[in-house]
Amino acid sequence: MLRASAAGELSGVPSSTLVCEGFLPLATAASVGLGLPNMPVARVIGHPGVQSREQLRTNVLDTTLQHVIDNLLKAPEAVKDDSEPGARDVVAKGGFDEINDYFYRNELSDGLPIVPPTREKVEQFLRFTERAPDESLGNLLPDSRAATIWSIAVNGVMAGCRPEYMPVLVALIEAMADHAYGVEHSGNTPGGETLIILNGPIVKQLGFNYTQGVMRDGFMANTSVGRFWRLYLRNVAGFLPHKNDKATFGNTWRVVVAENEDAVKKIGWEPTSADFGMSGENTVMISRHTGGNHISSVSGATAEELMPYICDAMLKQYSWQIMFTVGQGYDTLRPQILMSPIIAETIAGSGWCKADFRRHLFEHARMPAHQFERILRDWTQKPFWSLKAEHEAGRIPKLFRESDDPNRLVPLVWKPEDFLVTVTGDLSRNSIYIFAHNGVLGYPVAKRIALPKNWEQCLAGSKKS
Amino acid sequence: MADNDGYYEALWPRSPRQTKVKALSPRLDTLAGKTIAQCWDQVFRGNEVFEFLEEGLKARFPGVKFVSWREFGNTHGSDEREVVAALPKKFKEMGVDAVISGMGC
Repeated sequence: MLRASAAGELSGVPSSTLVCEGFLPLATAASVGLGLPNMPVARVIGHPGVQSREQLRTNVLDTTLQHVIDNLLKAPEAVKDDSEPGARDVVAKGGFDEINDYFYRNELSDGLPIVPPTREKVEQFLRFTERAPDESLGNLLPDSRAATIWSIAVNGVMAGCRPEYMPVLVALIEAMADHAYGVEHSGNTPGGETLIILNGPIVKQLGFNYTQGVMRDGFMANTSVGRFWRLYLRNVAGFLPHKNDKATFGNTWRVVVAENEDAVKKIGWEPTSADFGMSGENTVMISRHTGGNHISSVSGATAEELMPYICDAMLKQYSWQIMFTVGQGYDTLRPQILMSPIIAETIAGSGWCKADFRRHLFEHARMPAHQFERILRDWTQKPFWSLKAEHEAGRIPKLFRESDDPNRLVPLVWKPEDFLVTVTGDLSRNSIYIFAHNGVLGYPVAKRIALPKNWEQCLAGSKKS
Repeated sequence: MADNDGYYEALWPRSPRQTKVKALSPRLDTLAGKTIAQCWDQVFRGNEVFEFLEEGLKARFPGVKFVSWREFGNTHGSDEREVVAALPKKFKEMGVDAVISGMGC
């Protein structure tokens, strides 16, 4: 909304942005990042989602209308740039507690103690990349800050990472800055949290957990890199709760999930990185999810016996998120499944490759069309919408409207490859985990991890210290 | 007892902003006879809110006209970047004098 208004303001067209009162602090913070800190907004009383038509009309005519008129006719006060520290500036000096007090009071930490980012520590991290400290990997909204190598190192130190994790951190921020991911949506209502999947030999080299308890904290690499991600979102992209981060409930950051490539290789499947054309390479893949569920005791001796439970579980993770299949996004829903090695082995033992698994899921994890429409139109108050209208407008494929029977089954996604499958977790347990993906609010993006030429030497040196 | 808190000189963890403060567009003298564009992210009952705003603005400003949100596409969908980037050209072509954008909810 603000970005559409900004497009107007910057092309000579004055704007008024309609903002619910609970979102006014977000609008204020986001306007700064757009370079238009005084962009005017019109207050919408309460939330339209819980008002009768008459209440909504009264609120709009009694309050919002005058704000719109004022926004378009009265010039807001001019605002100047705030001065900020420079990239290399020391902002706090003192003992551990003093540093932590400063960082917490100035909204620069997540509430846990940080490792003080000193120049010496930052320089240790910089030795693990060949990129220049001031190189920017992109411009991160909403704060509109440069994703510099220097800032990656500073936040990596703060998160408790080891210097040798730097190549992973750089690849992660390269992914964050990729427009396809949509970092600017990270403060949206659903409050989804990023899932990081790690592939390649670097999993073992850096000691990432890729077996039992893979999503549990307690493993330095998995935990500190996960924390780094959220600190970077806060400090550089600018997502602060009660400001640019308007998650209704939110999630805390997730530890990194590393794939068990030994298990993948054993059954002749391809790792997650292969879906992005980088099989066997060191890669990070990011995507954003509001949650998910552990699906326990997936039982059966063949793929055919396992699949009904898996398909049922898949369907049960998805509700409003189908707006990313059709509606708010088109073909942007990418459900992510974690599969324990013995489940993958059992499925592969039936002669199925990963593509067979996905195809089966695509064909069987389906819901009645009336349910699909009810979720999007009636329950989430999207007023003018149907699969029929979408199909007739040429926006969705025919498989969503094979007939007009409201009980016909329609898929969750557009094609089998939309399902992402990662083999990891407890070697001896028959479980899967299904994430509820958030479509355009965190579309999957993968990046190669670039290692410095003297990687082995640097790594050996760092492990000794 | 010795102080084991150490001494540190901690660096700023943010990086430079890439945008500088820009000027807003000049405001209008009146909305009478003007053309107002409606931009919408197609959720949170914006269609009704725009309907009520039209009613209120027409009652106070004779000749005010509106370009419906249907003309611009979803400003917060999967093609947001393209939709938003196309707005200035569309505003010019449609003779738009002002824009109302919603719903930030």
